[in-house]
Amino acid sequence: MALAVPAQRSRYLLAGLVLLHITAISHQVDGGKGVSLLQRGILAVLSPLQRGVSAIVGGVGEAWRGWAFHRETYEENRRLEAHVRQLEAELQAHSARAEESERLRQLLSLRQAVPMDTVAAEVVGREGVPWFRSLTIDKGEADGVALDAPVMSPTGVVGRVFAVGPHAARVQVLLDRDSGAGVLVERSRVPGVVSGQVSGQVSGAEDLVLEYVPERADVAVGDVVVTSGVDGIYPKGLVVGRVRYVGKGSGLFRDIRVEPSARFDRLEEVLVVRQVKPPLETPRSVQ
Amino acid sequence: MSRVFWTGLAIAGAVLVETALAYLVASPGRYLDPFLLVVVYCALAGGETNGMLAGAAAGWVQDALFGGRVLGLSGLSKLIVAFGVGLAAGRFLIAGAPARALVVLLATVADALLVQWLASVFSVQATVLSPLALLSRATLNALVGGLLFALVDRRVGSRP
Repeated sequence: MALAVPAQRSRYLLAGLVLLHITAISHQVDGGKGVSLLQRGILAVLSPLQRGVSAIVGGVGEAWRGWAFHRETYEENRRLEAHVRQLEAELQAHSARAEESERLRQLLSLRQAVPMDTVAAEVVGREGVPWFRSLTIDKGEADGVALDAPVMSPTGVVGRVFAVGPHAARVQVLLDRDSGAGVLVERSRVPGVVSGQVSGQVSGAEDLVLEYVPERADVAVGDVVVTSGVDGIYPKGLVVGRVRYVGKGSGLFRDIRVEPSARFDRLEEVLVVRQVKPPLETPRSVQ
Repeated sequence: MSRVFWTGLAIAGAVLVETALAYLVASPGRYLDPFLLVVVYCALAGGETNGMLAGAAAGWVQDALFGGRVLGLSGLSKLIVAFGVGLAAGRFLIAGAPARALVVLLATVADALLVQWLASVFSVQATVLSPLALLSRATLNALVGGLLFALVDRRVGSRP
């Protein structure tokens, strides 16, 4: 009898906690848009801890590398790497803008796109569960990072911001099963949507799935896939990856796998787009 | 108070391990779940009530810092797993590293299946672990857990 009371109490506690969790999860699932106060609060409280740990671990790693290699050479190498990253990002942006500008000038006689306003952020955490793919970065609302802001690396699109705290934000990477981005096959202009794969691998490279591409569409292995801008999140023309496999799908659509350009496993710094130019107006001649 | 303090410290330790692991391997969460180890230990040592509270707390921290868009999935799964482990600990004699490692292995599998099931119930798109990935994760958790629990028990037992 004495044992029955604690056992009953624990069952009541279980029922209460399960109910609480279901309510909290349902609220988030139904809420959909925006960052909940809960997420904001938790991120605000916990991100300094994670950032501190990251700084300590990073500091130890830096010290080791600094010792292992010659300090000056290492510093010079870091400066050059940062410079190369900056140049690569600029080159990518210039290239995308130039291509878009040229195409629009020839076809629609539109203006050249204005550069994006970005902020550099450091990756301070990675996903700790295998079911979702996310990153934590050390820039938040105070740095102008907003919900749904696109995140890029010098080599390609990384993902979008899904939770923002004052000084940290969480990024859903393209590999996440719940992610999605409107894309175009650059060569043939065939549209589609990329997202993460259903099944997770133990290790090794992961591909993106290019969905909703009709069976007869002109897509070949090696084609470059870029953002189309139709999703309202990612600006048009950013490199997403390269087609690795094209097969016959089970339904009306093809089974296409895209090797992402961003090296998700080695990301240390990313660029967060703070402001994207509003969509270009359709010229009167076209209207 | 002391138990709450040590549980909090253990969860903070799990955050540290997970963050530190990210510097060594890509997607560390796919290989090891230090939060689950904390939860299983709490449930084995303190029963289902302590296990549940530790499970909910650890799961929410894991969701907030390392999880996906929706918070609470890991919290709920770890809460239920902790209840099961705590209940089992009260009914069976789970002593020795092999028995505890087996509990961690089963808890890892249960946690993974629960998260995937909860994700589908709440219409949250989540990656489905392949049987091989799940087995690798469960085996590594069991090995690390068995070793870690023995070390912690030795430390606790050596205290005056």
